[in-house]
Amino acid sequence: MEGFRYSNVEREMEFRGYDQAVKSHCRMCHGGCGVIVLLKDGVVRKILGDPDCPINRGTLCSKGLASIKLLYHPERLLHPKRRIGPKGSGKWERISWDEALDTIAEKILHYKRTCGAESIVLGYGTGRENEAVIYRFANLLGTPNVLTAGHFCYGPRIAASIVTCGSIPVADYDNHPACIMVWGNNIVISNPDEYKGERFSQALDAGARLIAVDPRLTRIAARADIWLRLRPGTDVALALGMARVIVREGLYDKEFVENYVHGWNPFLERIEPYTPERVEEITWVPRDKMVEAARLFATSKPAVIQWGVAIEQQNTSSDANRALLALLAMTGNIDVPGGQVLYTPPKIRTVSEFGAHRMLPEEQRAKRLGGDRFRLAANFAIINPRFVWEAILEERPYPVKMLFFISSNPLLTRANAMQVRRALEKVEFMAVCDFFMTPTAELADIVLPAATWLEMDYIGDFWKRHGYILPRRKVVQVGEARSDHEILNDLAHRVGQGDHWWPRFEGALDWILEPMGMTWREFRDRGEDLRGEVVYRKYERRGFSTPTRKFEIYSTLLEKWGHDPLPQHREPPESPVSTPELYRSFPYILITGRRLPGFFHTENRQIRPLRRLHPEPILEIHPDAASKEGIREGDLVLVQSPRGKAIFKARLFEGMDPRIVSAEHGWWFPEEEDPSHGWERSNINMLTSNDFDHCDPAMGATPVRTLLCRVSPWEKTGRPE
Amino acid sequence: MIRRPYGLFIDEEACWGCRACEVACQQEREFQEGPFLWVWEDGPRLSGEEAHFQYRVTVCRHCDDPPCQRSCPEKAIWQREDGIVILDKEKCTGCGICEEACPYDAVKMDPKLGKASKCDMCFERVDHGLYPACADNICMAHCIYFGRPEEVSTEMEMKRKRRKRKEGL
Repeated sequence: MEGFRYSNVEREMEFRGYDQAVKSHCRMCHGGCGVIVLLKDGVVRKILGDPDCPINRGTLCSKGLASIKLLYHPERLLHPKRRIGPKGSGKWERISWDEALDTIAEKILHYKRTCGAESIVLGYGTGRENEAVIYRFANLLGTPNVLTAGHFCYGPRIAASIVTCGSIPVADYDNHPACIMVWGNNIVISNPDEYKGERFSQALDAGARLIAVDPRLTRIAARADIWLRLRPGTDVALALGMARVIVREGLYDKEFVENYVHGWNPFLERIEPYTPERVEEITWVPRDKMVEAARLFATSKPAVIQWGVAIEQQNTSSDANRALLALLAMTGNIDVPGGQVLYTPPKIRTVSEFGAHRMLPEEQRAKRLGGDRFRLAANFAIINPRFVWEAILEERPYPVKMLFFISSNPLLTRANAMQVRRALEKVEFMAVCDFFMTPTAELADIVLPAATWLEMDYIGDFWKRHGYILPRRKVVQVGEARSDHEILNDLAHRVGQGDHWWPRFEGALDWILEPMGMTWREFRDRGEDLRGEVVYRKYERRGFSTPTRKFEIYSTLLEKWGHDPLPQHREPPESPVSTPELYRSFPYILITGRRLPGFFHTENRQIRPLRRLHPEPILEIHPDAASKEGIREGDLVLVQSPRGKAIFKARLFEGMDPRIVSAEHGWWFPEEEDPSHGWERSNINMLTSNDFDHCDPAMGATPVRTLLCRVSPWEKTGRPE
Repeated sequence: MIRRPYGLFIDEEACWGCRACEVACQQEREFQEGPFLWVWEDGPRLSGEEAHFQYRVTVCRHCDDPPCQRSCPEKAIWQREDGIVILDKEKCTGCGICEEACPYDAVKMDPKLGKASKCDMCFERVDHGLYPACADNICMAHCIYFGRPEEVSTEMEMKRKRRKRKEGL
């Protein structure tokens, strides 16, 4: 409206008497959105979206808007603490940073000397833009073991994409895709990597056609031209069935395939058995719908696939990624405007270079846990968590003595929570760096107070693949909180890595930016994003960064590492088809981890305006199934798998097949004062499996998204006990 | 006579249900009150091949001749000339009659304050030339509009046409 402007900082300041405005970059999820932080008397009072930021263009999510409630939360950890009672006793004493870091350094040097550096495992959860410093520290220390979510989140996308075409192709929403196929993703609710929901939403408003692949009816699925309701865990069969239709009907890009694809003929042989009839039988998707979607996707130019973590947390993790990449390539959508683009970053040092992977001695690399089993993962420095738990519990193949988790709550987020618990109870020394006393932190020896995004300087989106970097500027300091980067920079000096670090972490930021001829301060003060040059169809000049220089639909690297070079459907480890016996006593397919506004995995349950959005753990169940089981809306239900149980509140949900139920992940109850904070009560990972045989054979992804369960009413009323 | 130079409008069809607007509303009040709008789920319903699932947003409509105003025994609710209906917290005794009176369910009792609460279209912001907090471009769907009614409806209609709507959406 006339006279009105979005995010009008001058008027905001005048109106409320704010005296300072700082541009920064939110990281309530992985990072991404540009913000303007408004302060009064040194206190943050309001967060606005930055309309100039290319990622969010001024829009923000509930988490970003509630950042202040995290920053100034009364229960936030604000100084280091040492445990003075038994594990889980909740008895702690305040210590200084020097004492905390000296203790950790002493333990690191002790275990390195007595058991080898590999006995020390560093870990982070989902990427919080601290990955590069954690890997740098680990590699320089000589431990090949960094425990992340990388085996089943983003890592599979990155690894599968790199072996296939050199980098991950990102949807180019700027250039008007004519069709968007959203595959196992809820980009408008989740915390997507690279672009956020705004660009996607705008592309739809501009008229893009929409295909949704999802067992659940999301709003995206409801808006879609075609919604494919697949049976959970059958993504590869569906994708290969679509590929077969596209080939049979001659809808593929012959020029691209002839000149730039490696392994087309073996691929044709591989997809031949995926007839519409067979695909319908496997996936439950009516053949006509599948065929219609394949045609729409192949004939809309350009087209993109918006995919995410759902297909990765399956036993077909790498193949599902590779099958979608194949669909993009065969339809000529790779690296074209409005298609899926291999963006390049500005000329800075890369995450991989900063991570100092080359500094890890060969003999230490050879000790990477599980390195000879999940070889795609191992080649990207990623390990399957079960190896760590077993190394602690059974000391095989060697003992792990020390864990150092930074922004990670594995008791809630990793499969087979009971095993995780046993390992955390047994491990000799554990340090945890976080915002709050999480159930994982309660088992630590030392906890460190992590800085929020408002308390750190960093090059935001440094690790993303959309080609942008954005300055995240330190705005305030609360308590003694320190950024993960500063903590490791300091600790590095205490364990003798000082030569490879900097007096203060700002030196690292200068070093990253150095190839551009820019210092951190110059970048920060410039206040704008920087993007690498956007060049399309780079393959025409230099091919793809793969061994054959082609787009490897047939992966020569996977073949070399002893894995299947072509994607194929595999039944989920537990399913009506693979385990019919088990299905009789566990008669529902359980899917987990649907994304909720306000939460980021296990985070934000103590932030009132966000918890308000979703106060309790929910199990969605179809009304027909609910009535069969004697479950009513709002009832407490017991969900059981062959491994364990958890309690959720029932929500009758008509938008999925009655044979499926859907449970949320990441639930604990920070409001409960007992140091366990109810970690096991509604923890869906009490039910999930981390058997190696259940995992993706190349990536080691744990199949937490698809398992079997039974459900029954929980007799007690009131709060679950 | 109410002259409506501007209003708050929500294109529910475009809403993704992310509920950022609710938190933006609370942030504007430094998390002491609110939110004054609520996103809720309509559906899902499946009838054969037809899938219905959409979000709805409940927020004060700032009605002409507002029933809440008429119902309030304390005269704590009043309407400005530009149509914005305001609840005066000082005068409110928390009797709850207005909550009952509102046909849109847009007035709620705030249990913490023991008083009624509803959207005031951020009138103080509007008077300072600022968009209401929820309409200040925070919405990723850009489906919350503040502006002249005829201009908003033209823009909304244009966007609706451009979206290739599937039947029954």
